[in-house]
Amino acid sequence: MSSNVQFLDPRKSQNNEIDAILRNLMSIQGVSAAAIVDSDGFVTHIHRDFEINTDAIGASVQVVFGAAAKAAQHVGHHSTNMVICENSEGYILSTPIEAGFMLALVTQREALLGRVRFELKETIPVLKRLFSSYLAN
Amino acid sequence: MHWFETQLAALNRLAADYTSAQKQAGGDIVNVSESARTKRAAFIDAVQALVDKVVKIKGIAACAAYHDGLILAQSAEVPHIDAFGAVIQETIRAAQHGQVSLSLGAIEQIVIVGADHKLAMLSVGPVILCIYSPKQVNLASVLSRQA
Repeated sequence: MSSNVQFLDPRKSQNNEIDAILRNLMSIQGVSAAAIVDSDGFVTHIHRDFEINTDAIGASVQVVFGAAAKAAQHVGHHSTNMVICENSEGYILSTPIEAGFMLALVTQREALLGRVRFELKETIPVLKRLFSSYLAN
Repeated sequence: MHWFETQLAALNRLAADYTSAQKQAGGDIVNVSESARTKRAAFIDAVQALVDKVVKIKGIAACAAYHDGLILAQSAEVPHIDAFGAVIQETIRAAQHGQVSLSLGAIEQIVIVGADHKLAMLSVGPVILCIYSPKQVNLASVLSRQA
């Protein structure tokens, strides 16, 4: 006998929600790429509106964050919550999530830094919970 | 309650909705995440909409919203926008020192009046709404109705 009952795959729904979060970040004015990078610098999830070298961005985000975290430790600032690179054409923001995963955002110059930073700060606790649950399944 | 007070009350309701969505208990993190995201978007969109409306009012020179001293929403053209952020951050910090010693309660409004212009800072949920106008403008009066 066939059943109409469909069992929810928690990992799939968590993955969908991670994608929805990245889509939401992309909807902010001036944001041109939103990516999740693993501890080895590989991009695991990405939404972007321009051609981007995912290997290069993943590796650079990890290197830059690592260097900033080291600098913070040297001056007694303890853990690093966010690194903001201000470039002539925009910003790159990176934030740690869980187990070495990072969230990276690339923006154009016209992005409102406070808007992007607020969204990142509010999103990270949820992403941490999603990743804990995702990695546990 | 006049027009601007109504708008602020609506924004405060949206901010409270967002805060309660964040605090939702339960193990379904996917639903909690989606709900918080939707409520946050509603709040931020409303902040931007209010900034856009306020700047159209005659007598208002600029309007912007800040979070931790960084611009979150702005009207089309705001001169010295980063300077506003720095002033807001410093002023709020100073006021918060007084808030405890004087038993003022949470800071709701601060107005700085200069010889030429004045700057009103209003606390709405996690953001500070900033309204800049010439000194002689009566803010309560001009903000009592929409442009």
